[in-house]
Amino acid sequence: MNTPHYKNILIFLLTSVGLIVLPHVANIPPAMFGFFCLMLGWRFAGIWQPQYLPTTRLLYFLMLFALILLVSHQHRGLLGRDAGTNLFILALGLKLLEIKTERDIYLVVFLAFIVAASLFLYQQSLFMAAYILAVCCVLFATLVAINSIQIHTRAALKTAAVILLQAMPMATVIFVLFPRVEAPRWMLFEEKNKAKIGLSDSMEPGSISDLGTSEELVFRVKFTGAIPPPKYRYWRGPVLSYTDGKRWTQTNSQRFKAQLAKPSYAGTAYSYTLLMEAQEKNWVFALDIPAQYASPLEQNGHYQLINPENPHKRTEYQITSYTQYNTGYLTQLEYQDSTQLPSEPSDKIKQLVSQLHGFDDKPENFISQTLNHFKTEDFHYTLTPPLMEENPIESFLFNTKRGFCSHYASAFVYLMRTAHIPARVVTGYQGGKFNTVGNFLEIQQAHAHAWAEVWIENQGWARVDPTAAVAPERIEQQLDINLLELGSDIRFETSNSQQQENWLKQMSQLWNNADYQWQRWVVNYDSSNQSDFLSSFGIHDFKAMMKWLMALVGLITVLLALLLLYQKKKAIDPALRLYQQFCQKLQPAGLIRTDREGAMDFAQRAKLALPEQTEAIDHITNAFIQLHYGRVSTREDFVTFAKLVGGFKLNDRRLE
Amino acid sequence: MNLKQRFQLSRFITGEKPVDDAIILTHRRIFILPTQRGWAMLLLMVILLLIAFVYNNNLTYLLTFLIASVFFITILHTFKSLAGLVVQAGQTQAVFAGEAAGFDIHIHNPNANERPHCQIKLTKPQSFTLKPYSKTTQTLYSLTQKRGWHSVGTVTVFSTYPLGLFYAWSPLRFNSQTLVYPKPSPLELPFPDSPSADSEQGLSHKGTDDFYGLQEYQAGDSIKHIHWKAFAKGQGLYSKQYSGAKNSAEVWLHYDDAIGHDTEQRLSQLCRWVVDAERADIRYGLVLPTVKLPPDCGSAHYRQCLEALALL
Repeated sequence: MNTPHYKNILIFLLTSVGLIVLPHVANIPPAMFGFFCLMLGWRFAGIWQPQYLPTTRLLYFLMLFALILLVSHQHRGLLGRDAGTNLFILALGLKLLEIKTERDIYLVVFLAFIVAASLFLYQQSLFMAAYILAVCCVLFATLVAINSIQIHTRAALKTAAVILLQAMPMATVIFVLFPRVEAPRWMLFEEKNKAKIGLSDSMEPGSISDLGTSEELVFRVKFTGAIPPPKYRYWRGPVLSYTDGKRWTQTNSQRFKAQLAKPSYAGTAYSYTLLMEAQEKNWVFALDIPAQYASPLEQNGHYQLINPENPHKRTEYQITSYTQYNTGYLTQLEYQDSTQLPSEPSDKIKQLVSQLHGFDDKPENFISQTLNHFKTEDFHYTLTPPLMEENPIESFLFNTKRGFCSHYASAFVYLMRTAHIPARVVTGYQGGKFNTVGNFLEIQQAHAHAWAEVWIENQGWARVDPTAAVAPERIEQQLDINLLELGSDIRFETSNSQQQENWLKQMSQLWNNADYQWQRWVVNYDSSNQSDFLSSFGIHDFKAMMKWLMALVGLITVLLALLLLYQKKKAIDPALRLYQQFCQKLQPAGLIRTDREGAMDFAQRAKLALPEQTEAIDHITNAFIQLHYGRVSTREDFVTFAKLVGGFKLNDRRLE
Repeated sequence: MNLKQRFQLSRFITGEKPVDDAIILTHRRIFILPTQRGWAMLLLMVILLLIAFVYNNNLTYLLTFLIASVFFITILHTFKSLAGLVVQAGQTQAVFAGEAAGFDIHIHNPNANERPHCQIKLTKPQSFTLKPYSKTTQTLYSLTQKRGWHSVGTVTVFSTYPLGLFYAWSPLRFNSQTLVYPKPSPLELPFPDSPSADSEQGLSHKGTDDFYGLQEYQAGDSIKHIHWKAFAKGQGLYSKQYSGAKNSAEVWLHYDDAIGHDTEQRLSQLCRWVVDAERADIRYGLVLPTVKLPPDCGSAHYRQCLEALALL
């Protein structure tokens, strides 16, 4: 097994194995990855310098080392995704050094397929899928190469690609129709998600600005009908009522009111599909405020949607929301919660409130006065506000006057509460990037926002966004994350720059759309999705599913068989056909040309039997030989030949 | 073919009845089963399906189904690498018992699809490729043991192309036979001095009077020409050479002169004599219980004699 043929196969194999493990660099401990690289490099060197390949004893030692490596990294349990991945990668690395027969090559290829599958446990993006598909093609090409006499790299790759392409329709059909059964709980190896950034259940001034520039996707929304205008695009998250003067947290009363009364809705109903990415918290960010939703979603007393069984994976929800609503009366508990202050407000603040007519005017007027104060005074909106350690609200209001949405929201609520108006902070997301290709909104971490809610007689809880007073563009327009630079003043996309959409942006939208469709239809295709989708084709139960699966796989097989096995016969030379006519003409005379008889031999025999036709037979035979076997033959030769055959007749005399 | 014949086990292993003509490989003649590696791939699919199920991972499902489809489609591809081939038995060459008999098998690809890797096997597999509309001739060897007619047996054309997951094979039997001559005896014995050849020996002795010299004994030298005196002195076997003796020597190889316990041993000895005589360019005749071939030499006569020995 040291022929050039074998070398080529090894190069093929090692390349594809390297490619398949490469994306795991982010997923496995560096020591494991290093170990694998060492094995791979060693084996690569072994192609040209076989004498340096490890001996059996050294292999045992390496195996022991790998085992120690494996055990030392298993603080998270011996079963599960990480442990399994590590195990398979180390096994693959060790097996590489022990390739002796063709069987070992197959084993390596099969192990590589398992490692490819383990990659999908970490990442299911469209890009990863395309990458794995390409590497699978190389793996199959390795198998093609083993089974060929000579290796032509390109031919092997082509064969593998053709087979993969032909396999795709069938794979798709099985994918759609194969029954998805949820694995029983005990089988699930649930892994704690790595610490993710996202909204937290408490807020300190400035905490949201940490999310300010993150492009990480939080959720996507696709509206079935009307799309709400930008100023209504508030995605409701946790409501924070309790404050210690610095930190804002949720209160326990949130479960309470949900049982008592439903708000009344007005205006347009917005129905949409919300595709949440995997979240650490079980919050579902619905458009403010959600009215209809299906289980397992629940609504708490703060009109926030919750999925009690946090699936820890991408999940799809169908929700209907109204942007105009009246939440009705205020309960005693709510009143207590939403007017709570940690201590008596300072004189400075009281003075400001009375200056804004907080104590002697209607709440509506006080609100507009306050917003006006933010607008007219020297307040700025920035992602990097100065640190406010002590007494943040006061120092923000009177000294620094620079802040992000959380500063404005908390300061605003504080002022309201000073005037005994029930108010609270609502966190969530605001806005979203509209993808014109796929017609959906993408909400990223950078869209995290905090605003205020004030309870007003006859209106219920009403949303007031003090940030809008300072930076109305933040609400009306989209925040352009690409242009964001920490420390500088925030720039907003103007309509002017929107017009200059370059192809790069369109490409990125196209890609985002493809990714959205991919996530929605492929990655997220679970049992409920499947039954919905199949019901639209009239397939309702398991039996029908199986029948359709069989029928479609059968149909594809038949089509493929027709395509593959249809074999074109070589076109018969027209000269040969004419010659056969001539032979047929001789049949009545008892002259039958056998399969093995050459034209010359047959002519000999015919001349003996029909001496008077000698000349004609010679002519025809010579012309045929010239046309059928000769190098050069013209169109005229053929015409002459056709005439000769046409004119040939057995002597009538003989037949009589 | 009725149902019982169709599912006879022998059809899958030894093939259908032997034929003279070319055989076209069709679905009736080609059988297909997964190889060991194919079964291993099925196991791989089960593992992948389990991973997909436990982690509820759709892309792993997709990968599994893709591999399963590739596996399934490979059946067609492997079948395709044999389908349509035209196989015909060609010439054979006679051999001595114990040697390997060679059978020529002509394989013709009448279609436009290339056959990148097919194999043919009688005892040992041989690989070949066929371009579209091309032919190849493979010589297959099978070891012979007994003299007489030796038929080719089952020729298996098979392929595991493209992925080695399936083994498609077609067992073929042809009415192709080759003649096996008796195995020449390893004993080097002088030719018999047969009395039945007396009448003709007069002629051949014409030029043997002029003594020419001594030469080391060679197979085929007449027993009469051995220099017995030298042999008695222990100087080894020498033949007396006479001028004009070449080509004119003539021996009768008689069945009764051959020593041996049974027919086979005698035939083996006779065969050895025939070979030696032909090599030494001596005219030889063969007398068997049923056949008598007058002395002659040359390859036609040689073959005739060996045939007679093979078929006795």
